[in-house]
Amino acid sequence: MSLTNPPSSSGPLSATTRPTAATVSQSLSLKRSLQAAVEENSRRQTGTGYTSKVRVRDKYHIVGFISSGTYGRVYKALGRNGQGGEFAIKKFKPDKEGDIIQYTGLSQSAIREMALCSELDHANVVQLAEIILEDKCIFMVFEYTEHDLLQIIHHHTQPQRHPIPATMVRSILFQLLNGLLYLHTNWVLHRDLKPANILVTSSGAIRIGDLGLARLFYKPLNSLFSGDKVVVTIWYRAPELLMGSRHYTPAVDLWAVGCIFAELLSLRPIFKGEEAKMDSKKTVPFQRNQMMKIIDIMGLPNKENWPGIVHMPEFNQLQSLAMSRAPNHISRTSNLGSWYQNCLKNGGYSPASSVGTPGDDGFDLLSRLLDYDPTTRITAQEALEHPYFKNGGPISANCFEGFEGKYPHRRITHDDNDIRTGSLPGTKRSGLPDDSLMGRAAKRLKE
Amino acid sequence: MAANYWASTQRRHWLFTRERLAEIRESFKEKDKAAHSQFPLPDQRLLNIYFNQQLIKLGKRMATRQQALATAQVYIKRYYTKNEIRNTNPYLVLTTAFYLACKMEECPQHIRFVVGEARGLWPEFIAPDVSKVGECEFSLISEMQAQMIVHHPYRTLSELQPELSLTSDEIALAWSVINDHYLTDLSLLYPPHVIAVMAVIVAVVFKPSSQTGFHGSAAPIAGAMRDGGMNILAALGDKGGAGPPPRIQKLIAWLAESEVDIKAVIESTQELVSLYEVWEQYSEKNCKELLGRLVKSKSLDK
Repeated sequence: MSLTNPPSSSGPLSATTRPTAATVSQSLSLKRSLQAAVEENSRRQTGTGYTSKVRVRDKYHIVGFISSGTYGRVYKALGRNGQGGEFAIKKFKPDKEGDIIQYTGLSQSAIREMALCSELDHANVVQLAEIILEDKCIFMVFEYTEHDLLQIIHHHTQPQRHPIPATMVRSILFQLLNGLLYLHTNWVLHRDLKPANILVTSSGAIRIGDLGLARLFYKPLNSLFSGDKVVVTIWYRAPELLMGSRHYTPAVDLWAVGCIFAELLSLRPIFKGEEAKMDSKKTVPFQRNQMMKIIDIMGLPNKENWPGIVHMPEFNQLQSLAMSRAPNHISRTSNLGSWYQNCLKNGGYSPASSVGTPGDDGFDLLSRLLDYDPTTRITAQEALEHPYFKNGGPISANCFEGFEGKYPHRRITHDDNDIRTGSLPGTKRSGLPDDSLMGRAAKRLKE
Repeated sequence: MAANYWASTQRRHWLFTRERLAEIRESFKEKDKAAHSQFPLPDQRLLNIYFNQQLIKLGKRMATRQQALATAQVYIKRYYTKNEIRNTNPYLVLTTAFYLACKMEECPQHIRFVVGEARGLWPEFIAPDVSKVGECEFSLISEMQAQMIVHHPYRTLSELQPELSLTSDEIALAWSVINDHYLTDLSLLYPPHVIAVMAVIVAVVFKPSSQTGFHGSAAPIAGAMRDGGMNILAALGDKGGAGPPPRIQKLIAWLAESEVDIKAVIESTQELVSLYEVWEQYSEKNCKELLGRLVKSKSLDK
């Protein structure tokens, strides 16, 4: 039974890691090992035990491996027997006791993700095809998405930085907020929005993915805090979470959208802090470094821009942080305006250029998303009605519309890892300039 | 979806007509007549009472809430629309439904603890090994097609409280009526708001004059409901009814405007009345014996 807190999991369909040469023999051995594992398990089953009515390998042809995380692995698959289409199959790894795979009870996050994905139905939320429970494993079969925002952002830094067109950013953001509005009106908090979890289909539709941390927020029986102490990858974590809030709200997702908006424009995470590790007593430390990254751009929060701050559990920590710096080394006022102007300049965003510009409306929306005060931060509904979307013409449901470039396809590997050991790190992105921090920063706690 | 009952899997996949439910149960019987005659079981509602009491015992030492117990009861009902009870170990199904419902309702319990508690209560039916519950969980989720979000009438009830200015006594009674409705098929037959409205009507119309206090069940009001209630219910259909006192008239006026399916409300009230009637025959010992014989003779606990 795994009771330890494993490193982060990646998005269900997030970009894969190692560029590995695909060979036929490797691909075959992957399939053999998958089948062998499946058959081995079925032999062990006794007459009275649970057997699935549907078998994954009867319905789907596994073509390769996409990514892995602590939850297990994601494979690309094709439908068999006339069931066309491409799929991403997320396999939750079973717990092992010794060499024998045992039923040990499913994790709460797997239960949540299964229940929520079965219930949700929206054009901007990842589509679940089916769930198969077979041989002590869960297989969640999703539609396949060719891209995700992490991969798209990365592509725009190669071989040198070139901006994502302003119309594309606007379409991405609109669809993202539209999906988020759906989640929030249905009382679902996503809690882990980040570029890797924002999936993009080959026809330019945005799908919010990885609902492994999502949960319902109406009348929780326990405080939303108690289940899992820390959520949201640290770079996208809202200030109220960093300040120790126990009663967090949909506003945490909107902060993350703000961070993603900024990252789409600058091609770098806007608040790239380092995560403080949990100590041996498992107390959650104050995330000083991350908070400092936010303060550097947003200024020190105060009673004026965040009246509730004085009641935050980590308020004293924040004050000592402010005191520890020389007065001229800590920003008292927001620098977001100059950050934004710099970002437009560096990216070559202007009305005259071919990439266009998000303009002043874009800045206003960004600053409303990155509002310190969660009670006044813009909601998904309000954001969709913001001048940034109202002005400047129609928004395409295809974020690639009018875009000349081409994004590479999702990398599928065929190397044969033992499918029953999913201990590879989650969102690691090798080859990216920002990779060094990613492994650590992406870590978070699951129940 | 989660907040929207109308788009929910509960409405789309787990709402049955009475006829369909009867058909399903008849087909189980047809498939294995021998088992049905060899292992007679009490009335479904009496079994439900037994299951509910066992669930309450199981939850006693854990920080669970009524809603998790309610969800567990709904899971058990759903499961037994897909599986003949005589092919299962009901104690294992009960334990697993509880374990799963606690996770879904955000009051998770460790599987070892749940199995330990269950073993303490029914040592002869629950194996010490947690893998049985883990395996049964797969079966439960698979049969429910992972549709595990349940809409309960409790939420509608708290929304109705200010609107109908319900007193705390009325809320308490309505709450127990909702608790009791899980002992019937009602949660498979009607949407949660119909049940909530039914519970409010029962609480307001049949409020017992004496403060007997209703802990757990609203059964004491059964007599009142039988004797004088049905004609008042009939008046609900007839909007102009002149008879009832102002408090009830106000409720009737609200109902008339609310577009709630009055026929469904009346039918569910009748269902509740007949539950309270059949309750008089309840014998824990009888349920226990019949279930025990079933599980042991068929080695369903192995």
